[in-house]
Amino acid sequence: MTVVQQHPAASPTRVNVPRRLTRMTGLTLASLLVLFGLVGAAGLVAGDGMRVVGRDAGPQVLATAGLYHGLSDMDAQVADVLLMGREYGDRRAAALARYEQRRAEANQALLKAFELTGDDPAERVTIQSVLDGLGRYEWLAGRAMLLDTQAAHAAGPPPETVLKVYRQATDLMRLELMPKAYNLTLESGTIVRRTHDETGFTVRLLRDGVLAAGGLALVVLAALQVTLSRRFRRTLSPPLLTATALTLALLIAGVSALAGHSAAMDEAKQGGFDAMLTLSRARAVAGSLHADQARYLLDPDRADTYEHAFLDKSQSLVYTEGGNVEAYHATLARAKGPVRLGMLRGRAEIMKSYRRLHATDGRMRAEHTSGRRAAAVATKLGPLAEDYAALDTVLAQRGTAHRATFDRAVASGDEAMAGLWRLAPFGMAAIVALVVIGVWPRLREYR
Amino acid sequence: MRRLPIAALTPLTLLALLGLLAGCGATGDGVLSADTVRVAVRVDLPGIGARGPSGAVEGFDVDVARYLVGKLGKKAVFVPVTAADREKVLTSGRADMVLATFSITQDRKERVLFAGPYQLSYQDILVRRGETRIKNVRDLAGRSICEVKGSNAGQRVVEERKVAARLVPFDSYGPCMERLLSGEVDAVTTNDVILAGLAAESSGLRLVNAQFNEQRTGVGMRLGDVEGCEAVNRAITGMYQDGTAKKLLKKWFGKTDLPISTVSVPQFEGCS
Repeated sequence: MTVVQQHPAASPTRVNVPRRLTRMTGLTLASLLVLFGLVGAAGLVAGDGMRVVGRDAGPQVLATAGLYHGLSDMDAQVADVLLMGREYGDRRAAALARYEQRRAEANQALLKAFELTGDDPAERVTIQSVLDGLGRYEWLAGRAMLLDTQAAHAAGPPPETVLKVYRQATDLMRLELMPKAYNLTLESGTIVRRTHDETGFTVRLLRDGVLAAGGLALVVLAALQVTLSRRFRRTLSPPLLTATALTLALLIAGVSALAGHSAAMDEAKQGGFDAMLTLSRARAVAGSLHADQARYLLDPDRADTYEHAFLDKSQSLVYTEGGNVEAYHATLARAKGPVRLGMLRGRAEIMKSYRRLHATDGRMRAEHTSGRRAAAVATKLGPLAEDYAALDTVLAQRGTAHRATFDRAVASGDEAMAGLWRLAPFGMAAIVALVVIGVWPRLREYR
Repeated sequence: MRRLPIAALTPLTLLALLGLLAGCGATGDGVLSADTVRVAVRVDLPGIGARGPSGAVEGFDVDVARYLVGKLGKKAVFVPVTAADREKVLTSGRADMVLATFSITQDRKERVLFAGPYQLSYQDILVRRGETRIKNVRDLAGRSICEVKGSNAGQRVVEERKVAARLVPFDSYGPCMERLLSGEVDAVTTNDVILAGLAAESSGLRLVNAQFNEQRTGVGMRLGDVEGCEAVNRAITGMYQDGTAKKLLKKWFGKTDLPISTVSVPQFEGCS
């Protein structure tokens, strides 16, 4: 405005030049700021998503799955101890030692899970109640094992006084504590799915925004360059040219970092996390299925219930038809090619040990129903325990492999963003400085 | 004036982006996308889902459905369903959710997505009060039991438990109960909650408490509605944590033969 008043006789074109130049510079800086803002926002959203998936939910799946496994195996060891009676001296001691070890592991996993819960009130209440319940369980299990020792019975079902206490213990474990641990694992899965979907959506949107804003900034920078060279009859302005090149570089770096991050996020979820979650769940179910084999022999009154639970869990791992355990064993043994349904579908490498476990299970049940009870107990505590250990090892190994994929993907996502964070601030500062350096001398000509 | 389009672009880009961001909240056609949720419930099971004196449906499943749908911030509308039609109402789109003593099985999971289970129950046996020889499932050998259309409970006694019971087919529980009371059939077997409700209707019947097959009663949803299923699971956790589950079990089964000992959130099936 002041310019117009100081030069009333000046030609209209000349009057408009500084105003136009100021406006164009302002527009350039504004479009650059939008670009920087969008790059920053996308970086923050992406980084936050990866933090939730990689540092909270991923480790939480491992902690809660570890908790479930510890709890399940505690009850399995108690069942074995009661089944052994006064026989199997050394093995009884080993089972008791393993019970103690699992108890320590479960407590550790509980602490870890609580730490990772953050401020989710529902999860905190759940973990608190598992902690309370575990104390009650240990008391009941200890009492059942004490009564069992006093009873000094032969291998097989203990007296009713022992079973009464064990039923309370196992009901508490199977119906209250283990489901809560399992649901916590599932909840981590929910958190990862939501974060993956929401982060993916927002980052893609912001990437499109970065492209649009970057394109706009480049157009405006070019327009500024043209205006300067026409009005001031100069060749290209080197600072502006450098600013344009840097903006283009920033745009490419930003978009490729976001693309790299998205790919890493997909890989972390689909290649790592989902498989890790499925295997954790499968390992949990396999553990409690194995304990049902001991309970089947241990408690004649509930044998039907435990046999049904065994069949149900087996079919959730590998579904083949069969209205009862014998029929399932038969269809499982006959099934050719990859299995279509169940948590272990398509995992040929696990099927071998899974099939062996079920073949031995068939033998155990046949021995039991034909009256050879001691042989059935020996099969359970010997070959069947080994088959289960083999299956558990394969499941754990596959889980570790998927965990490695997950960790690698999380690290590569972090790396993609870290590179951008290191360079982008300097680039942004340089671009703004270069624009100002390019325009300022021309504006001064009007002062 | 020629410069205006360029000048206007920056705020326009931002506005467009904000608009897109705001639109990302509502997705898909799952239960979370509408304001009302159509819930299929039974109307033939006293205590679970049945017409009350006013003609409105009432029962445990109805109350659970109302609570869960309320937790999702929606309104529940009830649609009657028979045991045989529980899958069909979902696939045909007549209902969005099924709470109708719908047991989770691997077979059904091929066609239905299950949230929950919201309740664990057991298969049990209902007999005449004077009947003393039936104490567990094995005692059904040689006896006649109702086989109600759409329920596989009778079949499971014969096939899974390998007990040679005689299955007598019926369309629904009404006529089956009449024959049980008149002595033409010896027992009815299915979910203990259903039996407890039926037993409460008549003084001449007794629940055996044999508890032989664990049944996981889930919320049936359409395949693919993972988001809705996860939200329902969270609501079920809430129902157990805030004491509603216990309150509803007491309200509907407190005066029946059903043992209400363990009230704890069941192990979920998982939504994926």
